[in-house]
Amino acid sequence: MNTLLHILPRWLGMAATLLLGGMAGTAWAVIDGVSGPTFNLTAKADYISAADGNYIYAWGYANGAGPMQYPGVTMIVNQGDTVTVNLSNELPVPVSIVFPGQQGVVSSGGVTGLIEQEAPAMSGGVPGTVSYTFTATHAGTYLYHSGTQPALQVEMGLLGALIVRPAVANQAYGHANTRFDHEYLFLLTEMDERIHDEVELLVAYEQPVNVDTSIYKPEYWFINGRNAPDTMLEPDTPWLPTQPYNSMPRMHPGEKLLMRVINAGRDLHPLHTHGNNIWVLARDGRMLESAPGTGPDLAFSDFTLRTVPGETYDAIFEWTGKGLDWDIYGTNLAHTCNGKSIGQAQDPGAPTYDPITKEYCADHGKTIPVVLPNLQGLTTGPHYSGSPYLGQFGNLTPGSTLLNENAGYFHMWHSHNEREIVNNDIFPGGMMTMLIIEPPGVAIP
Amino acid sequence: MNSVKLRKLVLPLALAACGLSASQAGAAVFVQCPGDTNGDAIPDTAVDPSVKCVHLAAGDGFSTMADGKVVYGFGFADITGVAPADAINTGLLAANFSAPTIELKEGDKFYLTLTNVGMVIRPDLFDPHTVHFHGFPQQAPVFDGMPEGSFGVNMGSSVTYFYNVLEPGTFIYHCHMEATEHMQMGMLGNLFVRPAQDGTPIAGYTRFAYNDGDGSTGYHKAYPLQLGSLDHNFHDSSEAVQPLPFAEMRDTYTLFNGRGYPDTVNPGALPTPLDPDSGESKNFGNQSQKVSSLVTLDRATEGTRLLLRFSNLNVTNYYTVTALGLPMRVVGGGAHIARGPDPDGAGPLQGKDLYYDTGSVTLGGGEAVDVIVDTAGLPAGTYFLYTTNFNYLSNNDEDFGGMMTEIVVQN
Repeated sequence: MNTLLHILPRWLGMAATLLLGGMAGTAWAVIDGVSGPTFNLTAKADYISAADGNYIYAWGYANGAGPMQYPGVTMIVNQGDTVTVNLSNELPVPVSIVFPGQQGVVSSGGVTGLIEQEAPAMSGGVPGTVSYTFTATHAGTYLYHSGTQPALQVEMGLLGALIVRPAVANQAYGHANTRFDHEYLFLLTEMDERIHDEVELLVAYEQPVNVDTSIYKPEYWFINGRNAPDTMLEPDTPWLPTQPYNSMPRMHPGEKLLMRVINAGRDLHPLHTHGNNIWVLARDGRMLESAPGTGPDLAFSDFTLRTVPGETYDAIFEWTGKGLDWDIYGTNLAHTCNGKSIGQAQDPGAPTYDPITKEYCADHGKTIPVVLPNLQGLTTGPHYSGSPYLGQFGNLTPGSTLLNENAGYFHMWHSHNEREIVNNDIFPGGMMTMLIIEPPGVAIP
Repeated sequence: MNSVKLRKLVLPLALAACGLSASQAGAAVFVQCPGDTNGDAIPDTAVDPSVKCVHLAAGDGFSTMADGKVVYGFGFADITGVAPADAINTGLLAANFSAPTIELKEGDKFYLTLTNVGMVIRPDLFDPHTVHFHGFPQQAPVFDGMPEGSFGVNMGSSVTYFYNVLEPGTFIYHCHMEATEHMQMGMLGNLFVRPAQDGTPIAGYTRFAYNDGDGSTGYHKAYPLQLGSLDHNFHDSSEAVQPLPFAEMRDTYTLFNGRGYPDTVNPGALPTPLDPDSGESKNFGNQSQKVSSLVTLDRATEGTRLLLRFSNLNVTNYYTVTALGLPMRVVGGGAHIARGPDPDGAGPLQGKDLYYDTGSVTLGGGEAVDVIVDTAGLPAGTYFLYTTNFNYLSNNDEDFGGMMTEIVVQN
């Protein structure tokens, strides 16, 4: 393959579009889900696909009459909404929903459960029902899950995300320091197939669902209900009918990417962000602020986010390539930084970054100070464009697979307890996806 | 053993043959270091003093667990100073566990050459290798060593990674090729960057974990302590060319810097691993476990404050460690000072301190935490640093070993 394509010239044409479109409210659409404030969920059973080809019996909260889904419907509401969740239960066991982090949840109908009113098991073809109502007083990222025998039912898949948005668009919370350009959900879970197989048999033979959940040995790890590499497929892929959500974070240099992270599993998962540190702004739907109104002044920076079962986190990731000491757009193609060509000095007091490409102008025109090995000495990965430069393609070994449409930079985001980035005995997989830093001008939904 | 010896002789020849057939410099040992004229990764002419070069070999070798069990692994060896013609021979069966510690200073221009010398024990594996400088800020894929987004280097070849080192802190490095396997197999090491503030006297200190501006991260003596663990069944399967048990992975030996207690407190390198039957070295005399975890502080001559640079690079578990009888103060993590966002950039304000005093720290894989231990006013003696996950405080079946070491405070 000898495709010295490049998309750099596209910038000129797309610069105007970028300036207009970059700040538009399209980023709201990136987290797939259902907007409230009223939700009709149905607890039902079906199968999900693991990325190694296995299929696993699971329970999930469907959207109305839609297919069972894992995770459950991502519920998206606005701060201050009166949220109503009507639950219909088609499972042979009682089911409920609890909303950690919400106060004043009022239930109606159903039957009394240990910690929450429950929708009774389906009986004679008639689903049991229950309703919950609460006011979403605080913006943030939250988990919801079954409050009925949760050791079993949450493992089976009865869980989901609740996102409460503040009044101001493109902010995670009601403070300007939580502004973002793109937002993505990272709902982390794992599964022990044995439990699912046993439940499937007991249900099939109409036996009481008594399964030992104290012995736990997961083989599958998920982001938003999919194992890598399925995490990177399109949302609503036809061949994953019960796993509608993907995890494909994308951004341009200089943008702020909001990570809404939820650990809905049993184990702690260290989420490592290749590319740069993140700033963790909030935990469990509360800004890390020293006093009301200060904004997230107690935010912390880290390269691996420790996620604890049941906790949620909001974090901001940014990337510009600042200070690499070489020009990320290459010295082989003409381009400007603050209007200056390669070799031209910056004006005194010029901005640190180019206003359009966000190039760090102090590194403009600097060559990479080492020679890269020739292809004979390398095994290239499927997301390597063949060039070290953002937005350029280069030579690849004949027969190489290239899964990088725009010559973007791919950074793996994954559990750093790396036994969790396999699918059963197959590497790679599991709790892993890729961030794509796309060249300027590439449209990101 | 004879077949292993034969392989050691044949492998370099085979790799050299590959190099001869190559038309470009890529498919051969190729060290890039400014000012270096003979390829040994040591500058021979005057260069910018910020230039730092290291040449690592990636290959295989054996290590000894504290109960005597010898385990096979993959790893890195420091072959800086070795001529290119001798690089592969020197790197064979020389894998270190932990990998050689890399110490940098903020402002360094770091040229790291990685040469893949191949696996003597697993000649059927032609795995590439990489170095992932974990936590390097603003990284581009080409030098990130994450092979899905860039590349790994093939057997007999070299790649030189370039890093413009701007951020101080405790980082880590490891191979990212088939990461679960190569990391379980031991390609893991300490890496830290000292801050530009070092050398400036502030509040009675001249060494600091970070550019704190007020001496609050100052210390007298520092140690990198990498938490780790391995599953010997996985390693034995690899050595025996068996399917690798990813789903069954369960770590049996817990470690600091590649050793279990009491080997952790051996101040020197461990002896070369021996074949239990023949008594011969499994590594052709090479020592593999060179990083001690014994912490000593002579308060009469060295001072009172320790910096413990903790990181965790196992692939299965979170571990908590405590320093019994000593105070711990967390001053940083994730290669960042424990401070909130800077409100005014280059201005006079600084972020809010997030330091906290504690009796233990917990780390998952890929996490790093900077802990200051102030021994002022404490009695001299030997203090123990160990994991409080007591089911893991062992060398496999042998109780009271594993992830434990000693902090010896004198006078």
